[in-house]
Amino acid sequence: MNFEFRSSKLERGKGASSPFFVLRSNFVRRASLALAKRKENEEGVSAGLRRHGDRLKPVRTLFVLLCFATPLFAQQPPPAPAAAPTEPPPCSTCHEEAKQFITNPHARGAVTKGEVSNDACTPCHGDGTEHALSGGDKSKITVPRGVKGANETCLLCHDTTTNRISRKNGMHANSAAVNCLTCHSIHHSDPHQAHLVARPQLDLCGMCHTQSASFRNKPYRHRLDHGGMECSSCHEPHGRPGATVRSIAMIDPLQLTSAGEAPCLGCHTEKRGPFVFPHGANAIGDCTACHEVHGSVNPKQLKRATVWQVCIECHSPIANDTIGSQPPSFHNLNDPRYRNCTTCHVAIHGSNRDPQLLK
Amino acid sequence: MKREEVVLPAPLPSNLGPRTSNLLGAITVLVLSATTLAAQTPPFDIEAGFRFLDLKGSGDMYRTQINERSGFLIRSLTLAGNEGTFADFYRVDVSDLGVGPSGSLRVDLGKSNLYRFTLAYRQTNAFSALPAFANPLLDQGIVPGQHTYDRERRMIDADLEFDKWSTITPFIGFSWNKYSGPGTSTYTLGGDEFLLNSSLANRDAEIRAGASFNFSKFSGQLTEGWQTFRDHETLNLAPGAGTGNSSGTILGTPISASGISRDDHASGHTPYTNAYVTSQITNRVRLIGDYVRLSANSDSNEDENAAGSFVSFAISRLFAGLTDQISGDAHNNTWRGGLRAEIGLTDKIDLFADARREHRSLEGAALINDLFLQSVNFGGLDPRDVQTVINAHNSLERDEDVVSLSGSARSLGPFAVRAGASISDQDVTVTPDLAEIVVPGASQGGRFTRRVTSLDASGTWSHSGYSAEAWWRHDSADDPILRTDFLTRDRYRLRGGWNGLGNRIRLGVTAEESTPKNDRTGFDYSAKIRQLTADAEGAPAQIVRLRLSISRFRTDTSILYRHPETFATDTSIDIESGNSAEGGIAFTLTPVSFDASVLRFTNSGSNPFTLERIALRAISRLIHEHYGLTAEWNRDTYNEASPSYGDFRGDRIGIYLHYSR
Repeated sequence: MNFEFRSSKLERGKGASSPFFVLRSNFVRRASLALAKRKENEEGVSAGLRRHGDRLKPVRTLFVLLCFATPLFAQQPPPAPAAAPTEPPPCSTCHEEAKQFITNPHARGAVTKGEVSNDACTPCHGDGTEHALSGGDKSKITVPRGVKGANETCLLCHDTTTNRISRKNGMHANSAAVNCLTCHSIHHSDPHQAHLVARPQLDLCGMCHTQSASFRNKPYRHRLDHGGMECSSCHEPHGRPGATVRSIAMIDPLQLTSAGEAPCLGCHTEKRGPFVFPHGANAIGDCTACHEVHGSVNPKQLKRATVWQVCIECHSPIANDTIGSQPPSFHNLNDPRYRNCTTCHVAIHGSNRDPQLLK
Repeated sequence: MKREEVVLPAPLPSNLGPRTSNLLGAITVLVLSATTLAAQTPPFDIEAGFRFLDLKGSGDMYRTQINERSGFLIRSLTLAGNEGTFADFYRVDVSDLGVGPSGSLRVDLGKSNLYRFTLAYRQTNAFSALPAFANPLLDQGIVPGQHTYDRERRMIDADLEFDKWSTITPFIGFSWNKYSGPGTSTYTLGGDEFLLNSSLANRDAEIRAGASFNFSKFSGQLTEGWQTFRDHETLNLAPGAGTGNSSGTILGTPISASGISRDDHASGHTPYTNAYVTSQITNRVRLIGDYVRLSANSDSNEDENAAGSFVSFAISRLFAGLTDQISGDAHNNTWRGGLRAEIGLTDKIDLFADARREHRSLEGAALINDLFLQSVNFGGLDPRDVQTVINAHNSLERDEDVVSLSGSARSLGPFAVRAGASISDQDVTVTPDLAEIVVPGASQGGRFTRRVTSLDASGTWSHSGYSAEAWWRHDSADDPILRTDFLTRDRYRLRGGWNGLGNRIRLGVTAEESTPKNDRTGFDYSAKIRQLTADAEGAPAQIVRLRLSISRFRTDTSILYRHPETFATDTSIDIESGNSAEGGIAFTLTPVSFDASVLRFTNSGSNPFTLERIALRAISRLIHEHYGLTAEWNRDTYNEASPSYGDFRGDRIGIYLHYSR
């Protein structure tokens, strides 16, 4: 018999720390030593036997057997009485949500070999020992719900305050009508949405902000929830209500760029400028002077059905002191040639070459 | 031990295009690399396949509005886990990458107390070829208009923060935006407009670095960044466009071009600083200060050559060619700062006070050097070349000061209320260029001021599944700066909802109205924008979910304007009246799930049209526990009342393989 233990796991260095492995190794080691001794003894005994003849043979045999057999057949100590369970079983034993928590950002640091430990559950649900040992008594476990759940659970860790965000005082925070758990679902979030959002953003925001339905219903729109853009691409859902982040024209909490610019310029960078000859509406106001950002029935998401209407409502010299009531163009609007202002005034967002934005 | 090898996928078929192939290959490598980060096999979900398009009617309008084409597509991919070698959390999301038109890839990974890395990649195919937009030839049935483009926009945003220290968190970031591709445009020259082919390449890049800090009672962030851009556009006369848009003559001379070419360059850089500090003065008082400053500078150059038969009223001559060289530079200095105090009177009642100022100054100058070749006067005499040099300047300065005060009471049982007031003072000074062909005077340059006073209030109530919300805002101004600025504006919103039967049913109704006005003589500006929506969602059984939404909106605007050809005044009226109804059903008959929805939207008024949408989706797990098939059908039908150049019906059928583990 060769008791040299071959363990591919040991060779790979994995599993060597397993208690079971240690026990097995010790047992094998003791057995090996015993056998080695037996061989020595056998030789010694053989010499002696040769000296003393066969009278000691039964004794030797018995001795050897006892040396070898004792570790194997020594009477095991009686098993200790089973201790009362002090640690709860894993939450995943009963709760499917706990098994699926493996991808949840709240399980960070609590996952080992694909198993989620109870350490991931206790920060929000409390100590579940009594709950588990009582067979799932619901009164012995915390279930965060509504504004109380948001205040006492989410905001303990996620109470971020910056110049633009306030999770406690923000417009979507901390009231019975809307709070963290209105939009976020820890266990039943949409699997394709980040930040544990309960549903695709257009559906979620559209439950209350019905104007966002414009994105689905109108022909000229930013394509939301089709890759590339979401409501939070432009809006800051944790912002403060009525916060003036750029100008009075943009009072809604918006996702400004890192340079503090309007969110439009995060994508439409070619409109940023600076231009030698800026368009007044853009320079003094912003993109919403001419464009309807939440989807429009008009091409180019303009605020009017025809281009000339957008332009003429500002560029009308009616003896009033407003910017843009110049120049008094002499174009004949009855001629279709002049009803498309941007056919000539091409650089409508600003020009580096022509003060009349012709190129 | 043999090291695991990462096997790259075979090159994808070339008909997808090299960029798409490279991207999909990169995604695969990324996914496999992410997998090797994990000690265990992470959960993974992917849906990918092919989409077929069957299009009838205007392909230009379909692509302008929807732009879903035939091709390979990764509809969705999610890989997430919380166990790994180099990262203890990671998430990869892909949405609609491939034939597009829009797609995204997001990566978020990090290791606790060490680092966090986020990467967002987005791509969009921007297409526009509207039949009527910029189309003076529409009456002749020539479509599309003369301003079209078929361009790609690709964006990358990457940020890395170092979380090793508890009080300081340094970070670096990089953004990149490329917008490029062909298009058509027009150019007015010598008395007519000519169609040009355009090739555009815009590149914008930004690097940023900074740190967040958290020292006991003080926290904040400082970011220093630098944006650069480089724009290049070449334009050439389109084949067959030499006769221009206008068939007539000017002073008996037919206007035509035998060649037009233009090469435009612009570049610039913008360093910026963005900082904020919050300070918890006491348990109930917090101060927040923020500051942003950016200083943008740009340079531009243009070289243009044109040959043909043209007329110029500026120099009162006919000419046969033009050489144009323009160099310009522009500056934009903007800074914005504010201070905010948040006072918690009690645990549920807060007061907020905010003051901020923004200053923006724009300045531009251009040297415009034109050489009119082979010119003669209107009498056909005095042949010579004529050179003009214009040194154009303009500047604009804008200041805005805003002061606001508000209070909110949250969690008062089922109630939450908020009220606020603000004053905004705007001051704009414009300096026009006297060399422009305009009428000088107060209607152009000068100083314009405007004070806007705002009041707003809102309240919500939620109890036993019922909820209600009311919101009101009133703005009043003393003067307009732009003609379309309001003097008064009232906005209202009312919302009601009910969740019942154990959250199995949700009902909601929303009504909104906005009424901006300026009733001064010469303006008579009035607008009323209203929207009413009711929606319902229900799950009468575990396997069924229904949804229904009806919406009605109406916009009526009117403002006085002056006809440029007669100087007579008239009223510009715009009306939108839309009704939409949509419904959907989703149910599961294991192992198949179905989702169906329909939408009908009609708009009458200034731009009447009908839009219908049908979507069906079936997901099957018939193949295997981990594999499934998804089949999708989407139909969009668009019909304009008159003219019908833009009508289309687009059917998309998608077959996707779904794998999850």
